Amino acid sequence: MTRPTNSTKSSELARIAAEAAGTHFSSVQFTLTHGPANGSLPTPIIDPDKEDPNGWPTDFCHFSVAGLSMSMSTWPSAMSAFSGRVQLGPADPAGQHDTYSYFGHAVPNPGFLNQSTRKVEVLITLGTAHWSPTYRESLMQALVIEKLTGLAAERDAPVLHLHTPVAPVPLSIRAERGDGSNERLRDAIAPCLRFSIGVDPQMSEARLDFETELAALAEEYGFGLKLNDQRFNRVRGEWFTIRGFDRERYRQARGRLFPDAPVLTPKRAVIASLVGPSRTGTTAAAVAALRERGIGVLAASISSMRKTTFINLVLPVNADDPQTHPQWSGGWLDALPRLSATAGHRRHGADQPDDSLIDDWKVAISPAMRCSYPPSSRQTGATFTGRVPYPIWLWWQLPHRTVDTPTLLAEVQAAMQPHARRCEIAYAQSRLCRGDVVRGRAKLIVMLSQEHRDHAAVQRLLTDATEAAQLRIRERLPALGRVDPSKIRLRLSPRERWLTYAGISD
Amino acid sequence: MTVHLRGPSAVAERRGDGPLDHLRTMIRALPVPTAPMTFPSREAALGLALMDLSFRLDHLPRLSEHLTLMDRGHMSRTISVDVDVDVISGRLRETLQVPGDTALWVPVSRYSRTDLAPVVIRDSNGEVVPRLSHRDANRVTAAAFVKLLFMLINAHDDVSAPATPIHQLRHTHQRSRWLIEAAITELIMVGAPAGQRLHTPLDHAAGLQGSHPVRDLALTGLEALFPTGEGDLVPFARLLQLAVRQYILVAQLGLDRPRRFLTWEAPLLPAQRHPARWPNLAKNVLPVNREFVVEYETEIPRSVKAYHLTLETRQEISVRRFLMSSDVDAEFVEVLAQDLESVARRADRLGSHHKLLELEMQGIASRLAELGRRRLVDLAGYEAYLARLPIPVGPGSSPPPVRLTAERVLRELSAGNCSLDVLAAFCAHYAADGLQHLAKSGLPGPALRNIAAGLRATQVGRDVTCDNDPREHGAHAHWRRPSVELSPQSTEPVRVFAFMTLADEAPALIESITRMVAGLALVVLGIGTLLSGGISWLYSSEIPEGFVPDQADAVVAVLLLVPGLLLARLDLPSTKSVLGQLHKFQRTLAAASVVVTTALAIVVGTVDSDREMTRLFQLALAVLIVILLCCLSEFYARRQHRSSSVPRSARVPRWLRDARRATRATVEPDDFFDARGEV
Repeated sequence: MTRPTNSTKSSELARIAAEAAGTHFSSVQFTLTHGPANGSLPTPIIDPDKEDPNGWPTDFCHFSVAGLSMSMSTWPSAMSAFSGRVQLGPADPAGQHDTYSYFGHAVPNPGFLNQSTRKVEVLITLGTAHWSPTYRESLMQALVIEKLTGLAAERDAPVLHLHTPVAPVPLSIRAERGDGSNERLRDAIAPCLRFSIGVDPQMSEARLDFETELAALAEEYGFGLKLNDQRFNRVRGEWFTIRGFDRERYRQARGRLFPDAPVLTPKRAVIASLVGPSRTGTTAAAVAALRERGIGVLAASISSMRKTTFINLVLPVNADDPQTHPQWSGGWLDALPRLSATAGHRRHGADQPDDSLIDDWKVAISPAMRCSYPPSSRQTGATFTGRVPYPIWLWWQLPHRTVDTPTLLAEVQAAMQPHARRCEIAYAQSRLCRGDVVRGRAKLIVMLSQEHRDHAAVQRLLTDATEAAQLRIRERLPALGRVDPSKIRLRLSPRERWLTYAGISD
Repeated sequence: MTVHLRGPSAVAERRGDGPLDHLRTMIRALPVPTAPMTFPSREAALGLALMDLSFRLDHLPRLSEHLTLMDRGHMSRTISVDVDVDVISGRLRETLQVPGDTALWVPVSRYSRTDLAPVVIRDSNGEVVPRLSHRDANRVTAAAFVKLLFMLINAHDDVSAPATPIHQLRHTHQRSRWLIEAAITELIMVGAPAGQRLHTPLDHAAGLQGSHPVRDLALTGLEALFPTGEGDLVPFARLLQLAVRQYILVAQLGLDRPRRFLTWEAPLLPAQRHPARWPNLAKNVLPVNREFVVEYETEIPRSVKAYHLTLETRQEISVRRFLMSSDVDAEFVEVLAQDLESVARRADRLGSHHKLLELEMQGIASRLAELGRRRLVDLAGYEAYLARLPIPVGPGSSPPPVRLTAERVLRELSAGNCSLDVLAAFCAHYAADGLQHLAKSGLPGPALRNIAAGLRATQVGRDVTCDNDPREHGAHAHWRRPSVELSPQSTEPVRVFAFMTLADEAPALIESITRMVAGLALVVLGIGTLLSGGISWLYSSEIPEGFVPDQADAVVAVLLLVPGLLLARLDLPSTKSVLGQLHKFQRTLAAASVVVTTALAIVVGTVDSDREMTRLFQLALAVLIVILLCCLSEFYARRQHRSSSVPRSARVPRWLRDARRATRATVEPDDFFDARGEV
């Protein structure tokens, strides 16, 4: 691939190199925690030393699904000499019961330039029903992830993030277009997949080819496809439907491709976290290797922090595998046989070492943990009881080294407490940005304490709750982190596209 | 697909002149080192931090340049910046810390290595701010490149594959890497200004040994790191190019006052080129009331929020027009044009996914509409500027707006007409939701290619900022970064062109000269009439009696003294100055009229024939009247210049010239100043 010559790429290289070469820091330290999702964020065993200004985490990511949760956090490290690109090992066993922590180092890859790219975001619908995937569906999902990320890898486009399951987007009726006030409320999670890739804005051909092939793929397998609205002034959370979900075709494709896979919902799952230097094509390589061994993907969360990629996959454990392996960490090639023993279906012909992109990556595998699926959704008719989980979006910007992300999220949960019967963090990510501020986004799942069947009433309740909570958090934060109130920006909204509104309340 | 936003001149202007070619030459020319070059890691970190900040300069929210035209051919510049140290992130700040002090090294500008005048930076109190010496700045830059190279080698895929050049460079054959490092260091220390071939001892030797294994491995390793096809296009090469062509100006700023105001005199700027000889001669010998056209070009960091450009001239010179144009949206337009061309090429494939094509078309339409809106705002500003000029260019001179229907707009666009009328109408129809279902319109296909070509040709990526200084001998333009940055990720500097026309406005020299010439003509007429006793000598062919005066001395005295006195009252400037250039022809007129009366005085003193005397008086009067006509045509030319609605310059965006229906060919400026650091 030829790269355009402009100063943008060069100054980005200079930026990355300058950050990597900072006086004492040549690598990235990270912690990784797997555990059950019990409402609160798992506290990592190794807490960076906050007295040391360099001990503050720069990036944080949390994902929780199906009763399992994983969180990662990174900060600069002075350690420079270790073999390979990544080092990963279990942290000292202490702290919370049934959480599994790992600790490691990684060398960033300065050649991985993705700041100056244009983001193409994709929302894939793999079903319109309630989210409770079977083994067969998780295989299908793995196939879709592999194909999608493969398309991106062919064009050397980095995967910026990938998440599944996510909140679906209701089909908007023409009369409801506009500011979103009349938009129907969304489900918290559904069989949907959301991912974004970065394409060089000057390589529109690659982007168009990617989109065309994506549409062809959607046609072939019948999944629904939405792209982020690329019109000027459109924000994140506004989608343009390319194809609707074709239930019949999807069902046929699933049956044709995986006729033998059991149609049962997995009871247990393991979390496999793959960590390594960011490169293009790694997700496709990882998922392809798993799928070859008959391992499906129940849920996934992929993101890059400080030029190090974390691929977190929730893999369904075989129903006929009664053993529980302890937590494990090691190289990717050693992890494959282990994973196919726990989660694989096709025992023959697998396990030959392949020369892949991620040979030098490290993997952390949790013991098999019990899964749970959301009890209800709007589409399952739970509207009659009113006990529906709703998504709420959060966006914030705080000065670095004041309030760290887990503390902030706990604060948000506490602020939502008076209005909600339950409030979980489904997804959160924060990173250190230019100008020494930490910016983050999160999705919360709340179940309101008041039961209402009326749509307009629920909407009003949610809006009131988020506004009250927002106010409460903004009052509490200055005391928590001795942060200047004028530097806090935070917004909580039941609609994703409203997060960017820089109104008086921000 | 590779795009050169800057045209081919940006990096690889000539084969063999790229930064990596220089590096290769240096590798061949330097002795092979036997020990590694050592740079403290602190220096490398400082160098990288300085490089990073100096490219973005996002800690400079405001930049002002004050230009003074010293004489024709030289311009002095005073640059002032506001610095906000708080914007520099914590980790970089630790790196930039001056050892043993609470101050930071902060880069404030980059400038060309060819400008070597000393620069003294002062803060708002007038105190001199310490700065990093060139030698130190070069050393840390070299350290930064050595570190960067090491990081790139470490992150290369082949680094752990034995027997590959990259692995050898890193682990087994380190001398080759030291050689590359030494070559980089030498290149940065010595510098290589643009357009100059690197001169090495190799140029003087014959019969040299062909190959050396260490050198060969260094060259192969470089090739593996930066393959030739794209060698000069990789970010590393671009960084190296800037480092060898420019210096970083680094000031030491205390942390006690995070917001600072710094000012310094930039090195004197010589004019780049002079206009062609014949047009210049024509301007000087024809009564065209010449103007002096100066164009100025510079680059400002994209992150700058406000940029002020002020111009000051001598009080006698008026700034007739002052216009600034920046290419802030050029990258956006280029990306849009490429999108259009890609969609045009793929219209058939995309057509099978109808919604995808619609999304693409809507994306394109929204961006086109935004461009139309922005340029319309610029045009309105320009019209307001013309109306508030001391001698306003009448509102009647602007053509009435054309109203177009949606169908007509699409038809015009398809034909490649991207004039402002069409874009503005498109914007209105888009905002009114009149352009839904574009995929089904005739637009996808070859029409998109026409639009792309039209966008490029009309230069819609360039904005226009006008003068807002009420003084006549000064000008000021205030450029603000658009509130919504259209190419948000870009750190490409913004190119700014300024166009200025300097002229001699009323009370002008030409007015005094006209009065003087008219006065002299009257004197000649009066003497002739008094001598002949009537005015019939003017037209009659008869020779009046007694035209030869009895007291010739008195007439000679009048004919010599009056012009001399009048000429002494005129304030004629030196020929070197801009004013001298403006007055060149007018000075000739004044001198010619004096020559005529002096010649007449000689005639009166020496000739004693009535006939000859009459004819010579008639001739002198005729010449004076011709000179007077020249003066009047100067007035007419001045009027023409004043009512010109768009400058005739190639650097004024095409859309503006089209909007004002300017059809005359562009002309070269009298002086062109290039302050971009790369030259």
